[in-house]
Amino acid sequence: MNQPLRTIAVGFDGSPSAELAVRWSFALARQLDARVVLVHAVGLLQRLEGADAPERFLESVHRLADEVGFDRRRLGWHVTDGDACSVLLRATDEPIGADLLVVGSRGQGVHAGLMLGSTSLQLAERATIPLVIVPAGRDAD
Amino acid sequence: MLIMNGPVDDAGHEDPGHPERPDRLRAVVSGVEDLHLGDDLTLVEPYTATRAELTRVHEGSYLDELGAFCYEGGGNIDEDTYATYDSWSLAQYAAGAGLAVVEEMRRHDGAVGFIATRPPGHHALRDRAMGFCLLNNIAVTAAALTGEGERVLILDWDVHHGNGTQSIFWNDPNVLYVSTHQWPLYPGSGGAREIGGPDALGLTVNLPLPAGATGDVVRQALDQVASPVVDQFDPTWVLVSAGYDAHRLDPLAELALSGGDFAALAAMAAGFAPRPGRLAFFLEGGYDLSALRGSVAATLGAVVGSDFRPEEPTTGGLGVDEVHRAQSERGVALRIALGSDPGEDFL
Ligand SMILES: [Zn+2]
Repeated sequence: MNQPLRTIAVGFDGSPSAELAVRWSFALARQLDARVVLVHAVGLLQRLEGADAPERFLESVHRLADEVGFDRRRLGWHVTDGDACSVLLRATDEPIGADLLVVGSRGQGVHAGLMLGSTSLQLAERATIPLVIVPAGRDAD
Repeated sequence: MLIMNGPVDDAGHEDPGHPERPDRLRAVVSGVEDLHLGDDLTLVEPYTATRAELTRVHEGSYLDELGAFCYEGGGNIDEDTYATYDSWSLAQYAAGAGLAVVEEMRRHDGAVGFIATRPPGHHALRDRAMGFCLLNNIAVTAAALTGEGERVLILDWDVHHGNGTQSIFWNDPNVLYVSTHQWPLYPGSGGAREIGGPDALGLTVNLPLPAGATGDVVRQALDQVASPVVDQFDPTWVLVSAGYDAHRLDPLAELALSGGDFAALAAMAAGFAPRPGRLAFFLEGGYDLSALRGSVAATLGAVVGSDFRPEEPTTGGLGVDEVHRAQSERGVALRIALGSDPGEDFL
């Protein structure tokens, strides 16, 4: 890698798997002095949960940052309508301008081991910047 | 005459609490019954799309994977989309229904087609289920028609952008895809600058509208931006992705249409067809049951002749500026793609 890694975009849907990805990103960002931008895709069903659902996610992200001592000023939050895969692929563009994508291995409520709708596998096929898939720990299941 | 697919038992495609549910189809059938068509309604036998018919628009490997997933009992495919043991066979019925309806339409003069199936289809990509959709039903019929040399207009008035349909026909010179949709909203695609691939430049027309847009604005968008493209394309068939989630009562989005607006849109769609007998409506979304029933009746009543009285059309909502913006953004994107404009003012 020739350029320094400045911005890490992490997919965040509130799942335990996404929380692991966020923790991993905080640790890496501290070593590299990079920013972390949490990217949350608002899907079809989330419209039924009311407008404050993304805010609840933001609270839990702040809690995670405080827990590991990650500076909130280096933390961004990006909420946009769409499916998780397309939204994360666009994280390379402005305003995020990510140099690295990080996702958990399994989204919220999604069937374990399923290739069909796996955001991480689709990203692996389509991403134009490096991608890290953070596996679920043994005790996370 | 209205030609519609005959009923199949779709109770097996259900996820408790999910808005894409079997009651939707019952509401749709009630809407058709409200028209009292009598002998002017023909139901065609359920038909399962074959693998050859499906692989015109889907990857074979995706079909295998989806079939196997359902056979093993199904589950959540993504945070929005589910499949059950029965979903694979029901999705094949849904994808085949348009083929059977079109075939029957050819045996009658001036009939209108209505394909009332679930799961819906317009978000389904070549290789991926998403947005409640497993197989792209309207695309299966459109591809069959273009295979016979037809030129197909797909008009998509579902409140969500039909990303699957757009992507399947992105570079196909025989399909014109026109979509009105709320923006921003799932799935996030459908900007006015998305105009089609190099072999089909201009044959994707996206008309993104803000929350609160009313029926008059949707009609203006179609009149002002889409109509000239339709005239030039000169379709031989018109297929409509008729979602009813742009209705003001729908819980999944914030456009402000009424049943009467769908009657007006249906009349516009009929006007785009080259002659009677070349217009078919495919059910997509719509999650408020009473709005769904009234809007289906309004749509079909407007084109088959009926004394059904829909809700009043809506006017005066937001979005006129966005229609003008879509038109200019589209124009600039076209000039850039054709190499006649460096696009400085655009970038
Ligand atoms: Zn929809």
